[in-house]
Amino acid sequence: MNTTVDWVQLIIVIAIFAGVTVMGFMASRWRSTGRLDNLDEWGLGGRGFGTFITWFLLGGDLYTAYTFIAVPAAMYATGAISGFFAVPYTIVAYPIVFIFMARLWSVSHRHGYVTPADFVGGRYGSKALSLAVAVTGILATMPYIALQLVGMQAVFETMGLGGNNTLAKDLPLLIAFAVLAAYTYSSGLRAPAMIAFVKDILIYLVILVAIFYLPHVLGGWDSIFGAAQEKLAKPNPATGKPTGAFIPGEAGYVSYWTLALGSAMALFMYPHSVTAVLSTKTRNVVRRNATLLPAYSLLLGLLALLGFMAIKANVNVKGLDGLANPQLAIPRLFDQEFPSWFAGIAFAAIAVGALVPAAIMSIAAANLFTRNIYRDFLKPSATPAQEAKVSKLASLLVKVGALVFVLAMDKTVALNLQLLGGIWILQTFPAIVVGLYTRWFHRYALLAGWAVAMLFGTISAYNVVNPATKKHFGGSLANIPGTSMPAYIALTAFVLNLVVVIALTFVFRALKVPDGKDSTHPTDFVADRGDPGVKDLPEIIDDGGAATAKS
Amino acid sequence: MSRLSAVKPAYWISGVLLMVAIVVPLLVPTFAKVNPHLWGFPFFYWYQLMWVFLSAILVSISYRLLRTEERRRRAAQGLGDPDAPDAGTAKEGDQ
Repeated sequence: MNTTVDWVQLIIVIAIFAGVTVMGFMASRWRSTGRLDNLDEWGLGGRGFGTFITWFLLGGDLYTAYTFIAVPAAMYATGAISGFFAVPYTIVAYPIVFIFMARLWSVSHRHGYVTPADFVGGRYGSKALSLAVAVTGILATMPYIALQLVGMQAVFETMGLGGNNTLAKDLPLLIAFAVLAAYTYSSGLRAPAMIAFVKDILIYLVILVAIFYLPHVLGGWDSIFGAAQEKLAKPNPATGKPTGAFIPGEAGYVSYWTLALGSAMALFMYPHSVTAVLSTKTRNVVRRNATLLPAYSLLLGLLALLGFMAIKANVNVKGLDGLANPQLAIPRLFDQEFPSWFAGIAFAAIAVGALVPAAIMSIAAANLFTRNIYRDFLKPSATPAQEAKVSKLASLLVKVGALVFVLAMDKTVALNLQLLGGIWILQTFPAIVVGLYTRWFHRYALLAGWAVAMLFGTISAYNVVNPATKKHFGGSLANIPGTSMPAYIALTAFVLNLVVVIALTFVFRALKVPDGKDSTHPTDFVADRGDPGVKDLPEIIDDGGAATAKS
Repeated sequence: MSRLSAVKPAYWISGVLLMVAIVVPLLVPTFAKVNPHLWGFPFFYWYQLMWVFLSAILVSISYRLLRTEERRRRAAQGLGDPDAPDAGTAKEGDQ
């Protein structure tokens, strides 16, 4: 299908992409002209981001292009449980973030922590634990970056780019990524912050139009929900069970809320979320944002419903390889129902939407590598300048790695790893979040709990076999051991993690195994901007990384 | 824990509001049904979208309560206003 290139779409996408590229590079030019007023406002140097910019930055960071493709795709393919859970997930994420994130901001700004692993290292006096948190963060982030590329690929494919020639197929992706790498390298976190504005405005525009225009064309919400209900109730030819769930039945209740809660708790464990939060100006910016970010949750909820519209519109989801690929549902829906020029804007929104999180994720992963692996283990004497250099290079490497991943390996590998990433990253929760309140957990108990849960989560996920394809990593739900109740593996592993940590803490305390040195003080957790010893972190992150805080 | 009564109302009220915002949207059995419809949306779908707003309101109230309390605490400790435009430069002199 679609072997001809739609030139109107292509030209619009290229034009918007070019505009965004110029913005990305301008972010760094402002700096070299020394216009500090702009630095204060746009950059991270000196002051950091206020509520308004952070809203765009976090929105651009958390609601990725992949989210925009994958959530409706899940709705299209299997309905509410694997798709619409994203709504309660993003609803409960913000109260959770509201509770603990301000404390992480404060302690990080007083001690010059750039990564969550920095905090864990300082709090528990354990480089091993800090390394575990850093490695988990890097492992979870890499496939996430790769998936941003998958999202872009779906768009390019729908526009008719590609075909049998490998080079022609991958060229757009290569160009997009080379551009991304270049301006992240030169502009640091400022580039994605600026581009986030464009991305978000485009996305809001596209979704609003889609939500009001498409039901009109497709015969109203009633018939859209009706078509979805009918399709999801049809038996799957491979299993004989219904294709999906229109509304979760009793057996799906636990799956639904564990997916939502587990994902919500994991969201701000991802290093890129932490990087964006730490780049804010004051302790309360993140709290204020927790009250404002739900606007994106509403967007996501409406977007999820586009998956049902794709069912009603009967879109063709066959990929270039002739196999059905639900990820194409949304691009194809736009292609089919919108005039070419507007579909072009929508595709540009998704493509640009991939750049923002990819840039922040690569910076965050690079910070983890530089601070918690390079400085802690390879070169403790590294100067701030060296750290910054390593971080910049690492951010390039991370992106190239993600690109190779997508081009050389089957897309499902990235998908499987991202699924695992969600399970893994939640296992850093006890060390990070509980550590913000109490140091009662023993450092080695935390390490053991983490290791057990990582292993358990990985094995459980491997054992989930897709009933249709018979492949491993068939999903993120598995029966809670000893029951026949499917639940989100990440949350099951998390409970196991906590049990191990608590049990071993008693053991280690009884055996008087020494605690590490805690370099934090209770007042650190409530410190705010302008207080003695509180440093502005942004200028550190800004250089692509990781100089130690000046103090 | 005998000093529980000493916990400022702002803290426990916010705590309760935040717990509501976390727990209620996860009580799947309370909303996993089709009826009543609203503008063509089955209950399951519009109810959860409605919670986006309710949760945002609950978190906003908590934010206001805590901000007031935190300002009082900071004033009592003689600490500055972090939102003041020059708050970041004050410490530059210390370094």
